Amino acid sequence: MTKGTASKTDVLQGTLDLMILQTLDTLGPLHGYGIARRIEQISDAVLKLNEGTVYASLMRLQHRRWISASWGLSDNNRKAKFYAITRTGRRQLTTETENWDRIAGVIARLRSAERS
Amino acid sequence: MWDAIVRALSRARFILSRGRLSDEASEELREHLELLTDRYIAAGMSAGDARSAARRQLGNVSLVHEDIYQMNSIHWLDVLMLDARYAFRVFAKNPGFAAVIALTLALGIGANTAMLSVAYSVLFKPLPYAAPDEIYSAEVVIPERRAQIPSLPATVQTYLQWRKSPTVFSAMAALTPWEASITGDGDPERLGGAYVSANFFSFLGVPLERGRAFTSDEEQPGKDQVVVISDALWRQRYGADPAVVGRSIVINGTNHLVVGVAPPSLLAPTRTQLHALLPFAPRIDVWKPIAPTPRTLNSESWDYGVFVRLPAATALDQGRQQLAAILTEMARVQVPGLKSNIAINLIPIREVYAGKTRLGLLLILAASALLLLTACVSIANVFLARVVSRGNEFATRIALGAGRGRIVSQALTESVLLAIFGGTIGAVVAKWATTAIALYGPSDVRVLADTTINMPLLLFSIAVSGATGILCGIVPAWHAHRRQPATGLKEAGRTVSSGEAGRIRSILVGVEIALATVLLASAGLLLHSFVRVMNSDRGYDVERVLTADLSLFGTRYERGEARATFYTTLLDNVRSQPGVLAAGAISNLPALSASEGASRAIFYATDTDFQRLILARPVAMIRGVTEGYFAASGNVLRAGRLLKAEEPVPTALISESLARRFWPDKPLTAVVGQQLRQNADIRGPLLTIAGVVADAYPGGLDRQPPPTIYRPYTQWASGPMTIVVRTAQEPAALASALRAEVWKLDPNLPIAAVRTMREIVSLTVAERRFQMMLTLLFAAVALLLGGLGVYGVVSYSIAHRTRDIGLRMALGALKADVMRWVFAAGMRPVFIGLAIGLVSAIAIASTLRRVLFEVTPADPISLGVVVLVLLATSALACYLPARRAAAMDPIVALRHE
Repeated sequence: MTKGTASKTDVLQGTLDLMILQTLDTLGPLHGYGIARRIEQISDAVLKLNEGTVYASLMRLQHRRWISASWGLSDNNRKAKFYAITRTGRRQLTTETENWDRIAGVIARLRSAERS
Repeated sequence: MWDAIVRALSRARFILSRGRLSDEASEELREHLELLTDRYIAAGMSAGDARSAARRQLGNVSLVHEDIYQMNSIHWLDVLMLDARYAFRVFAKNPGFAAVIALTLALGIGANTAMLSVAYSVLFKPLPYAAPDEIYSAEVVIPERRAQIPSLPATVQTYLQWRKSPTVFSAMAALTPWEASITGDGDPERLGGAYVSANFFSFLGVPLERGRAFTSDEEQPGKDQVVVISDALWRQRYGADPAVVGRSIVINGTNHLVVGVAPPSLLAPTRTQLHALLPFAPRIDVWKPIAPTPRTLNSESWDYGVFVRLPAATALDQGRQQLAAILTEMARVQVPGLKSNIAINLIPIREVYAGKTRLGLLLILAASALLLLTACVSIANVFLARVVSRGNEFATRIALGAGRGRIVSQALTESVLLAIFGGTIGAVVAKWATTAIALYGPSDVRVLADTTINMPLLLFSIAVSGATGILCGIVPAWHAHRRQPATGLKEAGRTVSSGEAGRIRSILVGVEIALATVLLASAGLLLHSFVRVMNSDRGYDVERVLTADLSLFGTRYERGEARATFYTTLLDNVRSQPGVLAAGAISNLPALSASEGASRAIFYATDTDFQRLILARPVAMIRGVTEGYFAASGNVLRAGRLLKAEEPVPTALISESLARRFWPDKPLTAVVGQQLRQNADIRGPLLTIAGVVADAYPGGLDRQPPPTIYRPYTQWASGPMTIVVRTAQEPAALASALRAEVWKLDPNLPIAAVRTMREIVSLTVAERRFQMMLTLLFAAVALLLGGLGVYGVVSYSIAHRTRDIGLRMALGALKADVMRWVFAAGMRPVFIGLAIGLVSAIAIASTLRRVLFEVTPADPISLGVVVLVLLATSALACYLPARRAAAMDPIVALRHE
């Protein structure tokens, strides 16, 4: 694995992590499938996601103690693992979204400057 | 940094459940796939299409799995576990190798740690006093007496004068032995005691466990009927009753108030640790203040140990001179114009406790270090053998792509695991050994030795031997990688061309044998010395003699005649017992007391100016004896006659060495009838010498027999006596009869110790025996390791020359020839090692003459036995594999791969 691709996946990973945190913050505890559906719905199918990576991301977030997992029953009465955002996760989400907004703002300004 | 720690911790949290987590992830992914498929079917796709669409949407599942697994693992730990599992498989396949290494390590580590721990606690660990480095024991040196008496304790007058005068010392304390017989509350008991200055406990900085220490006005005669008792006495006799403090107990027939209980950890001089002339009991149980009466102050008795506290170590010389000046001034008051360069020795208190054991301990320490070294060499040897025979395995792994790091880390894992096994067993061995030494070692060692292992020392020993193993494990693995794998594979397929390794191993075996020789030779010399000591003629009999210590006290025995009657009656009664051949008593048993008890300067009958001559005349020990003592002890008469029951005129027997010294030009028979005078009895009548008896040596034979005068008990009565009984049979069987006889006469009389002479002598050689046994043990282990080394090298060389041997046999070589080759190759390093070892052993033993007894460093008997034992062991180690080689079928051997 070369360095370039590593940093690219890092960015992508970070983005996916953020989306999952945001989803769990908004909707409360969800299983992996539900998270994938929500992201699909919100992104209006713009973002083509390899949905398997959601699970890698969920494990990573657990390592960081930003989310916690527990077994429960899904809507159609099947056993599923539910993920919930933790207090530290919520704090992390706040700082991350602030960061995100700031960067998005900078990029927006850069683009408008380019256009003019 | 913090983040890294948190992440490592969370990894550790996940690593344990990673199997379950992985399974759960699979299930979630499968579920996810199902749901997606259902969704596509619901949208109108065929089942097949729906499934493949769902698969596409889910992406590469195995990649996700791998991601998760890696997230939940620590790579090096996985490798380590793998290596460890592999190592365990290797050990299980080759348990002999693992066991030899682990045991070798364990013995080396265990013995070394135990000895280091003991040596540390005896020689270096701070003594349990406040600022122990400030405390010294003061001894008086009179140069004119030095040849006979190297130093003297102080007199009580000297101590008082020293204490009064301004000196560089911040405090002083004094102590002197005391015999305390305790009666009432249970059996009468004779205890070891000490008179101490009132400040004794505060001087040492040891707080009492209960009650209080003495006050200074308890140093006044009449106010001194107070005692502090030991923790052991408090527990054993009084059942740890706190009410004992403040109670009165009867000691030596008078009431004493118990004011305090000393702490169990109190360390005080016992036996003759403080000074040869101050015989304390093996355990001190009662302490009483020194309260000199006017009568004491008028007599002169050099039997007070003095401790001084010197806050500034640099003032040592000044302090010595101050004390010497005060003493000289005091002596000049008595003997005007006295010209003697009286000097003072200040002995650090550590020397008091450890001085006599230092040489012996260092000797054992050196032996255990040699053992550890032997263990290391032996480990190197075994490892080398293994690694050479594993050349094939390494080559295969390298050919399959293993990196140097993996090969080395595998070897490292094995070595470290073995070091851990060895270290663990070693710690157990060390624990046993230290406990055994602390319980059964010689008393001087026992008092200070700790039963706990010293952790840093254990780690040190493990590190030394572990490092050897690790080094020996890694270096060949490292080398393996440098070779072309193809060469390695080819070589391993046939006989390994391991000439170099074989040579190194031969050298290692030579070193092992040399080390074993040194240890065996030391052990042999010590053993031979010990046998000599035990069988030496001491001037009295050791076998079939029973002794009992008695001390008469109280108003009943105040008059000398009463004591004499008691002993006469007792001895008569004992003599009438069946099995008793002779019985007598002496004031100080020569086996135990080379220099204890009264001693006096003696003068010729013609001497008049005693004051001037006192330093020019010899000093003799004075012993009171009853009729029958010499017959009972087996002390031989050289000339004249023994003492009779009644001696109407002042009479003495003298020892042979005193006769030769005092009348060097007279034959012993001519000494009989001569007269002499003993100091302190100067105005009294002259003593007539009735006979000359053989010298009586101290039990351990560690000192010259003191010049001795034996006086009839009726003329020189002292309270404590030792009854000596010669028996026809086993002496211990008469012990209870002897006790019964004593109690028949006086039921209140404590009997301190009923022991056979053999026990007493055995006690006095305890230290020598301890050294000998330990060295012997170490030597035996070294011999075993050496033998294993020879065996290993020989078996190995046979295994790799099987085809060679087969070929020779096929060509007509006889079994005897095969045996001869094997022996020639196997014994060569043994001979070289033996020669080097013998030379080193003699050189080492020459520096240790002090621990030898009537044995020269090159003692042919000990060294001859050592050579025989070593050669026999090595020959056996060669013979076993040689016999196997000779019994081989040439055809099978030729086909051997």
